[in-house]
Amino acid sequence: MEIKKFTIEDLWEQVDFEPNPEQKQAIKHVNGPLFLAAGPGSGKTRVLLWRTLNLIVFHDVSPEEIFLSTFTEKAAFQLREGIRSLLAIVTNQTNQSFDIGRMFVGTAHSLCRRIILDRRFSIDGNRNIVPVLLDDLGQYFFLSGSQTWNYLLESAGFEDEEANQEINRFFDGGNGSLSKHKAVTNTRALFNRLSEECVDPALFLSEENNDLIFNRLLTMYKHYLHNLENGSVIPKTDFALLQQAALETLESCETSGDVFQHIIIDEYQDTNTIQERLFFKLAQGQKNICVVGDDDQALYRFRGATVENFVDFPERSRSNFQLEENAVRRITLSTNYRSLENIVDFYKEFIETCDWCHKENPERQYRVHDKNLQADRKSSTTAVVASMPGHPDDVCEEIASLVHALIKEGKVEDPSQIAFLYPSLKSKQVGRMRDALGKHGYSVYAPRAGRFLEVDEAVDIFGVFSHIFGKPEKGDYSGTDYNEFFSWIDHIHKRGKDLLKSDKHLKDYVRDRKAEIQTAIGDYSTLLKILELNHWDLTQVYDIGLMKRKLHGAPGLSDKVRKSLSSARFERIVKKRIESGSPYDLRYILLRATSLDWSVLELFYQLCGFENFKHMYDLAEKGKDEGPICNLSLISQYLARFMDEFRAVITAPSLVEDKFQRLLFVVFLYAIFRLGESEYEDADDPFPKGRIPFLTIHQAKGLEFPIVVLGNPRKRNNGPQPVECLVRPLLVREGEPLDRLAEFDIMRMFYVALSRAQNLLVIPHWKSQGNYISQPFREMLNDEFPRIPNYNISRVPSARLAERDLMRNFSFTGDYLLYKRCPREYMVFRKYGFAPSTTQTYAFGRLVHQTLEDLHLFLISKREEEA
Amino acid sequence: MNDELIEVFLRERFDDNFERIQEETGTGLAPDIREMAFQQVLYYWRKLKGIANRVTETEVRLNLPCQRTPEGREYGIEGVVDIVREEDQTIMYDIKTHEVEYARAHRNDYAQQLNIYTHIWQILREQQLDQTAVITTALPKKLREAIVNGDESTVKKELSAWDPVIDIPFDPQEVETAIQEFGEIVDQIEDGIFSPPGVSRLRSRTTDDRLTFAQRICRNCDARFSCRSYRLFAKSSSGASEFSFNSYFPDDLADWEQEERQRGQLEAETESEFSIEV
Repeated sequence: MEIKKFTIEDLWEQVDFEPNPEQKQAIKHVNGPLFLAAGPGSGKTRVLLWRTLNLIVFHDVSPEEIFLSTFTEKAAFQLREGIRSLLAIVTNQTNQSFDIGRMFVGTAHSLCRRIILDRRFSIDGNRNIVPVLLDDLGQYFFLSGSQTWNYLLESAGFEDEEANQEINRFFDGGNGSLSKHKAVTNTRALFNRLSEECVDPALFLSEENNDLIFNRLLTMYKHYLHNLENGSVIPKTDFALLQQAALETLESCETSGDVFQHIIIDEYQDTNTIQERLFFKLAQGQKNICVVGDDDQALYRFRGATVENFVDFPERSRSNFQLEENAVRRITLSTNYRSLENIVDFYKEFIETCDWCHKENPERQYRVHDKNLQADRKSSTTAVVASMPGHPDDVCEEIASLVHALIKEGKVEDPSQIAFLYPSLKSKQVGRMRDALGKHGYSVYAPRAGRFLEVDEAVDIFGVFSHIFGKPEKGDYSGTDYNEFFSWIDHIHKRGKDLLKSDKHLKDYVRDRKAEIQTAIGDYSTLLKILELNHWDLTQVYDIGLMKRKLHGAPGLSDKVRKSLSSARFERIVKKRIESGSPYDLRYILLRATSLDWSVLELFYQLCGFENFKHMYDLAEKGKDEGPICNLSLISQYLARFMDEFRAVITAPSLVEDKFQRLLFVVFLYAIFRLGESEYEDADDPFPKGRIPFLTIHQAKGLEFPIVVLGNPRKRNNGPQPVECLVRPLLVREGEPLDRLAEFDIMRMFYVALSRAQNLLVIPHWKSQGNYISQPFREMLNDEFPRIPNYNISRVPSARLAERDLMRNFSFTGDYLLYKRCPREYMVFRKYGFAPSTTQTYAFGRLVHQTLEDLHLFLISKREEEA
Repeated sequence: MNDELIEVFLRERFDDNFERIQEETGTGLAPDIREMAFQQVLYYWRKLKGIANRVTETEVRLNLPCQRTPEGREYGIEGVVDIVREEDQTIMYDIKTHEVEYARAHRNDYAQQLNIYTHIWQILREQQLDQTAVITTALPKKLREAIVNGDESTVKKELSAWDPVIDIPFDPQEVETAIQEFGEIVDQIEDGIFSPPGVSRLRSRTTDDRLTFAQRICRNCDARFSCRSYRLFAKSSSGASEFSFNSYFPDDLADWEQEERQRGQLEAETESEFSIEV
């Protein structure tokens, strides 16, 4: 056999990879469960890549029989592309070809979708119907929509008036806020936890010892499930429930445990109960399940992650698969290739300051404690440095000066290589640091810092919007969030005014749009009067012969509406509709004639033609600053979202009494404003050049930076989340002690931040009234600790800007032809991901292609049956 | 399998897919446009039963890794096709929702594309391809009209006259040039060269229709308002001495398209009163 001659060692040599002994063992492990504990920067991704390759090339495992779950789509993409490049090298050597197009690589969620679709798991060989997936924002709008929310409250027996307050009191204590928003977000968190833990509400509803409100919430959950399933033609689902649907698919198929030969799960410390069940179910046949992770980097308890799944994996898998002692292989990747020795020692010391032992049994720990992490970059260089203890303003200035010196001395090639990592970007310290850096001439890239709506680009766009649709009135209502939101409104309105003042064209443009709005309202009311005069009803069928002339002749009607009413083309359509038995009613005719002929997205794109915004495109086109265009793109996505969730066409009746304005500002933007940054949003990596990234620690997961500044070494321990306490009694498992959850989570979060640094780690030392740092930092930053004023930066290694290390794929139509057509269009829509104002062409193509695919699959399966 | 049952299946799947796409993208298609999409599916089946019944792999993702650009970057090329594999031959189809005349006018683009795909297939599957073709699913105008008028005999006639399959002969000579050109574009993308085409290009007309590049491409591009070339074009083509934003591109709104879209969305959204709550 010719292939056998070619070994994995040959391949390593070719690509210049020298795995260490642990890596080698992990890559070559083939049979049975594998528990792979991988410290930060220990080459985990590479090991996964090579392990998969080893299975495919040297153990004849078909790519379709591998299930590889990653934490983000980006990680999945990189793995897939990495495997492809390596396989291509193999092909060159052996002439053996591989097709990994149908391999299961992706996030747990995307793989759940594929499981539901995959004919291997279907009983009748046909594709199952996949429900429409609501993302977090979609779920929020679905729940908070009056129809759903009131229905849920009612069905649980809440009295309308006090329901929100009662719910908030139940979750947050005190008097309970009146806010519906809070009630919805509290309830949503509970729903999601229940789904992730596979709790069947029916089992607990009858229990008498449940608090009354809790009982009602469970009833609401029951109805929520029902409503998603049956509320529309295609059932809906949320992220958590999608996994349940996939599990059901697996459970209904007898052979589901044998479809995949190998189950490989990355970032296993962040999996939840339902995911564990899924993975175990998939691995039931071959029992080849490999889990990779680091409990010290577990970050997602708030999304239901259960770190015990990882820490106790050997036991849990043994009992699940009924294996004997030692059947689960453990390998630890303990060599850190990322950080200088001083940094590794620092975060090792940090995590060990916490007592991780079980109370009753000090032998056991809530942590895989024997990882014995070692730095590969041995060096005596000092690589962790703190500011002088002092007032935050002084500390920020000290750090900003250091940043300036590091950039000036060429320790980094671009400001984007220095990352500021924060527990939360809502902290006051964020603004202080941003200002301090600003004084040295550095801009920050932080689309989700504080609030996205507060970035300059959003203020500018919505400022102008507030002049077109009018500034929303605050009214009598008051409340912390509400007041803050209206200060934002004041702020953007003022900014809009300045923009209009400085650009005469823009001012004219806004004036004309406002006039159009007034005209639309006027036309609509004029037409209504004609209806009234003739005793016609809005629901009446439009009769051209009888009605057209009267409507058309209404006094004071604008030319636009006249033209619309007399369009010959439209008349033909009207007639066709009558013939086909679905004639238009008058309401439709009025709406059609008087609706604005632009949407909020079209308005946005037109505004982008004015100098203030056009400049931002020019900066990107010239490669000077990508920050503003990235923010503009996000705005376009939010506006597209508004059109999806609420309405796309701006109709005249919606403009009456500022209804549309309130829908846009007080419903939609206010929700975005209050939901704030979305902490588990994937960060865009690489970051826009020319700016210093400010990220949440969650966003920095899996990334590394030459220089890291821990933006705020303070995080208050507020005890466990109310949802944790509520759900705990419903669970079968024991779990980490409730009274230590928050402490553990804070330690792990800071550990993630500290371990992102390659060459230098900087820590601010707040020490003034009301400003201090958390333990164990307070203890660790003692008198002997290196401080910035005495720190010599000359020994900091210089970092090169990271090259894209993986091969990128380009599609013939999506990239090549699009770029050839217009490079700028490519930049705006493909590179920066702007949301186009119309997706009809896309929807049309997708509809045709998808249905043809269904047809082909159907015909193929029929033929197979007949054969 | 009964053909009529297949048409029922098509209708069901089509409606399902439509609902889903509408939910997922928030895009409502105007009813006639939606029916136009269904016609493409239905008449694909009626016209090309022979091919549809022989497809062995559908929506196959092809990938050619480890290419090198002139500047030395590594990259991969990818595309999606349908495959008919039989004992004695293998055929590759690329299905496009274009009209057949448009496709014939752009035959060169397609040839380049299918040549590359063929190349990938033969490397990847180590299998000779015997034929490659583009299938265009947009119905010819006459056929559409006959369907609208319910004129059965004309429908029959036009359906049999319709030739939606364009054979693209494989030309190994072309592959190298095509891949070379592809690599050059990859370099430009990675180098961050994103200037729009010049004004003269915007004025140019394609051979198959009377429209200028600006009318065909730019008008459908939201980014045109902030585009240097488009603004220069608008300025020079209006003949006005000074281009002023005050005119907001008066000739800019493709009226009927606008109308179709608006109508589709209006109908897709039920005019239920939305409520505003704090």
